[in-house]
Amino acid sequence: MSLSLRIAVIVLLQTLALAAMIALKQRTLDTGAPVVLETQPIDPRSLFSGDYVRLNYAISTLRLDQPGSDQDFKPHDRAYVVLKPGDPYWQPVSVHHEMPALAPGQVAIRGEVQYAGDFLWNQETGTSEKVRNVRLRYGIESYYVPEGAGRALERPAAGEKISLRIAVDRAGAAGIKAVLVNGRERYVETLW
Amino acid sequence: MRDSKFIRRLQKELPVWAEHGWVRPEHQQDILAYAATQSGGGTSHLTLALGVMGAILLGSGVITFFAANWGAMTKLAKLAVLFGGMWAAYAGSGLLMARGSLMVGHAVLLLAVILFGANIALVAQIYHIDSHYPDGVLTWSLGALLAGWLMSSQPALAAGLLLGILWTGMEGFGFGGGIHWPFLLLWTAFLVPILRHRWRIALHFALVGLLFWSWETFWQTVMRGQGRLLAQVVELFLLSYLALFLIGKLMALRPDVEALSSVVQRYASFAVLACFYVLTFPALRRWEHGHAGGTKALDGEPALWLMGNFLALTVVAGLAWQHHRSAPAEDRPPHFVAGQALLAAVAALLAVNLFAPPAWGGVLALLFNLAYFASVVWLVYSGLHTGNRSLVNQAFGFFALWVLARYFDTFWTLFDRSFFFMGGGLLLLLGGYFLERQRRRLNQEILLRGEGGK
Repeated sequence: MSLSLRIAVIVLLQTLALAAMIALKQRTLDTGAPVVLETQPIDPRSLFSGDYVRLNYAISTLRLDQPGSDQDFKPHDRAYVVLKPGDPYWQPVSVHHEMPALAPGQVAIRGEVQYAGDFLWNQETGTSEKVRNVRLRYGIESYYVPEGAGRALERPAAGEKISLRIAVDRAGAAGIKAVLVNGRERYVETLW
Repeated sequence: MRDSKFIRRLQKELPVWAEHGWVRPEHQQDILAYAATQSGGGTSHLTLALGVMGAILLGSGVITFFAANWGAMTKLAKLAVLFGGMWAAYAGSGLLMARGSLMVGHAVLLLAVILFGANIALVAQIYHIDSHYPDGVLTWSLGALLAGWLMSSQPALAAGLLLGILWTGMEGFGFGGGIHWPFLLLWTAFLVPILRHRWRIALHFALVGLLFWSWETFWQTVMRGQGRLLAQVVELFLLSYLALFLIGKLMALRPDVEALSSVVQRYASFAVLACFYVLTFPALRRWEHGHAGGTKALDGEPALWLMGNFLALTVVAGLAWQHHRSAPAEDRPPHFVAGQALLAAVAALLAVNLFAPPAWGGVLALLFNLAYFASVVWLVYSGLHTGNRSLVNQAFGFFALWVLARYFDTFWTLFDRSFFFMGGGLLLLLGGYFLERQRRRLNQEILLRGEGGK
């Protein structure tokens, strides 16, 4: 194989790998069902890769006492969370090991179990409650923003409510479509 | 660099040799001139080293510059910068190699590989891809493997191996999903070009990677409370590295891979001694049986690990037989025969250990200590005979570790604490001094024989 051909093969395959990353994400955004999730941005950091916010969703920690939920989760297990439409935010229905059969209007989002335990801190009562629960990660927990904008999202002005519009495809993969402030788009994701 | 050191030393030594009458004074300059003509590698290696450092610095600078100035650019412009930079680096390396500037070409190729990794991270940033991040490192490693393989570039391949180590570390320690077997597949893929091109530096990286993975696996076993399987896992590693050591010995007999044999032997003997060292602890067996109940299987049933041990024993026996046949009986040096006998004894001990009841724990620990001591002595003997200083150094290091461990085991409960520490201090000072003197004496002996460092 000639030198130029070898270089071309490397460039082609590496470029394809990068393009595949973009294509897979874009496919989820284009074909996925739009879902609005309640979130609380936390801990923005400015790494060498730029300013970003960590997003903690209302569905990041889930109780497993909903009817139909599987119980025997352990860290690094795959989990599917069934969501149903709500006003304004989508609500969790049940948590499963495998993709469940969905009722009309429902979607299932795929996550990875980070923690599974038997006690949950109840913020309202200020007590620890004995209930099986899991902490999940969906791959939509980071959102990169223009330099300096992370703190504005972390500490919204009085009366401002941050939420995320995401897309969930049929396999359960999710991607961020837009960041909403009081239901209005602040940042919208486009291909180019 | 080694050549210039040699010439400087020669410049110092020649007048002394002339004074002793070993060389004629008028030949000193001729010898130096000849040595200078033989030293070809220094400059090119310096070029490569500087080039590699330059590539790393340039790559880091490019990443941080663009990352800090992203805000004003559209996604399309960002992608153009990322892809364009990577393509340009690959094109540049190809151009340089075609023009004969191989070392700089390899350095620029390494820059291209770094940019590929940066692109993975930055594309993930642009499109908010927040998935299982070790996958990104694996993709980067595979990209480096591809570049190293197709361009016959040792720096790119070594970088890929480093990334592979990082990948298995992330998977093993960050996600703790048990033993990370896929690393062995990646490792094997890296091994093919290393053997094909006989790359010693990349082989060092590969063997360090294998040692790291072994340690990670051992740690996973301990952390998951797999006491029942711990001895089997350590034994399997011991046998596997014993097989690797024998492979290293056999490689020394084949001219095409002889250059790599000492590197293989060095890492394999280190791992064998490390595994042996673990097995010398009587506490291991107590711990092992103490945790026997209620543990879940570690990536497979214990029977599979047992089968693995037997398979490894068979491989070791086969390699030992092949090694035995490699030299006619009259040509076998004493260290060769002693090594074969020791190997047979160790293999028998390991086989017994797999089925021994808990009551035999003390006797087995004693036998493992004896076998460990015999292995250390044999390593010194073999190192001296073959002129392999690294084997001698390793043997001394592991002997010192062993003495220290047994001192702790024996006297921790017997002595008053103050006496224990005073005794330990004296042992370290006097023992260390004695061992270091012996080690230097033996190394000097090897050097004087003119066979050092092989």
